[in-house]
Amino acid sequence: MLDQLGNGLLLGIIISVASVALSLLYGVTRIVNFAHGEIIALGAIATLFFSSPLDYRVLFLEKFSPLGLNFAISCFLAILVCGLFGGLLEVFLFRPLRKNDVGNIAVLVVTIGLSILVRHLYLLFATGRVQNFPLELQRRQTYLFFDMTPRNFNVLIAGIIVMIIVGLLLTYTRLGKAMRAVRDSEELSSVSGINSDNIILLTWVASSMLAGLAGIFQATINDVRWNMGFLILLLIFAGTVLGGIGTSFGAMVGGFMIGILVQVSVGLPFMEGHAEAKNAVALAVMILILLFRPQGIFGQKERIS
Amino acid sequence: MITKRFSLQFIFALSISIFSIYLVFFLNPDGAIRILLNLVTFAGIYGLSAIGLNVHFGWTGLLNFGHASFMGVGAYVTLLLMPHAAGREGVVVTTGLPFFVALIIGILAAALFGLLLGLPAIRLRGDYLAIVTIAAAEIFRLLVRDLESITGGVYGIINYTENFQKYRPSFIDELSDNLGFSASQGWVCLAAWISIFFTVLFLKRLSKSPWGRALRAVREDEDAVRAMGKNAVWLKLQSFMLGAGIAGLSGVLLAFNYGSLESTVFIPLLTFYVWAIMILGGVGTITGPIFGSIIFWVIISETDRLAYLLFENANGQQLAGVRFLLVGVLIMFLMIFRPSGLLGKKEELLLDVK
Amino acid sequence: MLNNLISVKNLKKSFGGITAVDIKELSFIEGELTSVIGPNGAGKTTFFDLISGFQNADSGDIFLKEKNISNSQPYKIARMGMVRTFQLTKVFDRMTVMENLLFSGSDVNNDSFLRSILKLNSQKVYENSLKDKANEIMNDLNIGHMADSYARELSGGQKKLLELARAIINEPEILLLDEPLAGVNPKLAEDILSLIKKLSEDGITIVMVEHNIEAVMKISERVVVLAEGSLIADGSPNEIRTNKNVIEAYLGKDDE
Repeated sequence: MLDQLGNGLLLGIIISVASVALSLLYGVTRIVNFAHGEIIALGAIATLFFSSPLDYRVLFLEKFSPLGLNFAISCFLAILVCGLFGGLLEVFLFRPLRKNDVGNIAVLVVTIGLSILVRHLYLLFATGRVQNFPLELQRRQTYLFFDMTPRNFNVLIAGIIVMIIVGLLLTYTRLGKAMRAVRDSEELSSVSGINSDNIILLTWVASSMLAGLAGIFQATINDVRWNMGFLILLLIFAGTVLGGIGTSFGAMVGGFMIGILVQVSVGLPFMEGHAEAKNAVALAVMILILLFRPQGIFGQKERIS
Repeated sequence: MITKRFSLQFIFALSISIFSIYLVFFLNPDGAIRILLNLVTFAGIYGLSAIGLNVHFGWTGLLNFGHASFMGVGAYVTLLLMPHAAGREGVVVTTGLPFFVALIIGILAAALFGLLLGLPAIRLRGDYLAIVTIAAAEIFRLLVRDLESITGGVYGIINYTENFQKYRPSFIDELSDNLGFSASQGWVCLAAWISIFFTVLFLKRLSKSPWGRALRAVREDEDAVRAMGKNAVWLKLQSFMLGAGIAGLSGVLLAFNYGSLESTVFIPLLTFYVWAIMILGGVGTITGPIFGSIIFWVIISETDRLAYLLFENANGQQLAGVRFLLVGVLIMFLMIFRPSGLLGKKEELLLDVK
Repeated sequence: MLNNLISVKNLKKSFGGITAVDIKELSFIEGELTSVIGPNGAGKTTFFDLISGFQNADSGDIFLKEKNISNSQPYKIARMGMVRTFQLTKVFDRMTVMENLLFSGSDVNNDSFLRSILKLNSQKVYENSLKDKANEIMNDLNIGHMADSYARELSGGQKKLLELARAIINEPEILLLDEPLAGVNPKLAEDILSLIKKLSEDGITIVMVEHNIEAVMKISERVVVLAEGSLIADGSPNEIRTNKNVIEAYLGKDDE
């Protein structure tokens, strides 16, 4: 059970970071981004590209040769790449759509198309098979109660630090406040002098960078796959919805809960021999919670009028 | 005015469809009939499913992204009620209901599943509904995969096609001998298009009726519907059940077309395929998805040529990858540049659905 | 009290600590044309949402024809004969004006799935009589020429008219009008006002929220004033004009 709790914490931190990113974007732009998973995968794939040894040829088609950089620098660069990708998406895709008054639902469908497109680009051009970061194998150690590899423990600590920083940034910086203002009303903020285009752009960049980080976490703990983002996308949705979509802190907690729920549910008596269905438990819990609290645990009921 | 433009669109869609089919002959000088039959069968089955989805989204404005599960419920319930073999060991079940009884129960089960899923989900706002339906579909798929003792899990269900093929009319066998296609697929194809024919008739009757009108009102503004004394939730549930039932029927046909059934058939990508077909054909139209489906499947089945252009030695995974990639592009571009699809009316564009 | 069609007792609603509505007692009398006025944020629309069931009150009771409807669904309340319109017009955009009216006027049984499949002759007869009724109302409201246009093609004022027409075809006993004059040009506003007056004379009980004080004073039989969610005055237009509380509530607001 403790092992599963440890795994749960790890999965929780991944989903939590990714959920905050998704929720932030939704809060500001009202876009339910189905392509979020692909940005997560981009973080992992870019890191793999930057850090793999030069002679590592299994990964990419002959045309692309890995760079063989230091792992930490690779992660940093990969996060920048994700930010850039998110920014480009906003400028060349979502901003024009917004300017043409394309409705939220249409945009949602566009993100689904984008997700399918990008995911299969990964399959074709990046990684058709399961890959691992070029990191040494590590032995599990005991931290407090949990058996983990030092690397996984670092992910846990790094994740918690990132969450605290994101929380502080959102609460205290001008930018964070501005993001919340845009969330409350785009019209209002454009009247009061906040340039909502820039805020939305920054939100895309920030959300994508966080997503990329989540992808690096996930790939460090597990592995790199072309569809790794889509595989956990629903769990991220579950975390976001559970916490209350659009609320950053709710998404943090919701994401953690989903992660722990998924891993701990493996140990439940009725789940014996059904470990594969662990995601189903988390998704079912999400649906149940929505039954009683459609706005999520921490979300506020929107005023109708 | 409107009717005139509409019929022009209709002719346009029809010609594109015919041209697409011609393209298949042009691109496949050998064995065109076999390829065409395969394509038309899939087009019929997916088109039927898209017609069901259109009841949800096009008529009622419900963002259903769990369509695959409705197809799955229909397929699994029907197959499991008939003689079949399931699982790794191929546990044989020799007793069961006759095909048509099982089919009807399967369709009803799909509709019931729609109701069951609808009850918690239907009060939710559009984007929440999208998330909940896709999540529910995944729960369904994971459960089916996991309940190996009943559903055969990843090993699937086999030996069920005879239940349906024994009703095959003899003229299909004669045709298949002459033209060199699979007789059993020919029968599935015919059944799919007969189903489409009657579903379209049925929906045509409903769409202009007071009930269809009420669904469209729900799509436009739920609050106003309530203010007029109409139970919007019940209307949405009815729409959910009808669309799910149609999807269930298409799921059964899909199972007979494959000849064996396992849970991976019902991954979310299946739903996205159906969405692409619906948007391509025209959201809110009745016959649009038929044309959308034909064109979609011509594109899909001819992409291997495209894949060979991109990759010198394309393997199966890459071929499939190019296909899916194209589906993604199709969905995006249609939604951005032609959201009304082939047959949709500009005035009824669903761009600003909340 | 006699003939109280709607009455509320100790009605309370707040949003995140801010009181939107807090009314001890208020009744609307059968046949009367009552206006609810008050500064912005006085809770008028919330009050409407509460009595029409679109929001649930935190506490308190609402009675419609002596039946407690506090937690009733909006459609059930509407079926009891109380129909509302919305501040931001809610028409069925991608349906024709005619369809808008037919849907609104159609009986719930007529909408049923089964009847729509069977398509009995009785349904045809019913639909035809509904069409005649719709035509009559559209002509009365000067939107007859738009019958086959999509509702989204109407001007703002025409949409207001359509919403009114939709309410009328429902044959309500009580009509809740949420800012029927908002965003309407002065000429049309006159027409709408006289229409409201006529409806009132036909015996329909009307409660209306409106910002145009002049219009309110002209046609209302009774005016209810809300400020910060509470009832501060209740009386005939003349009484309200001179009411100290009301003047105070509006003080500093020159646009009213």
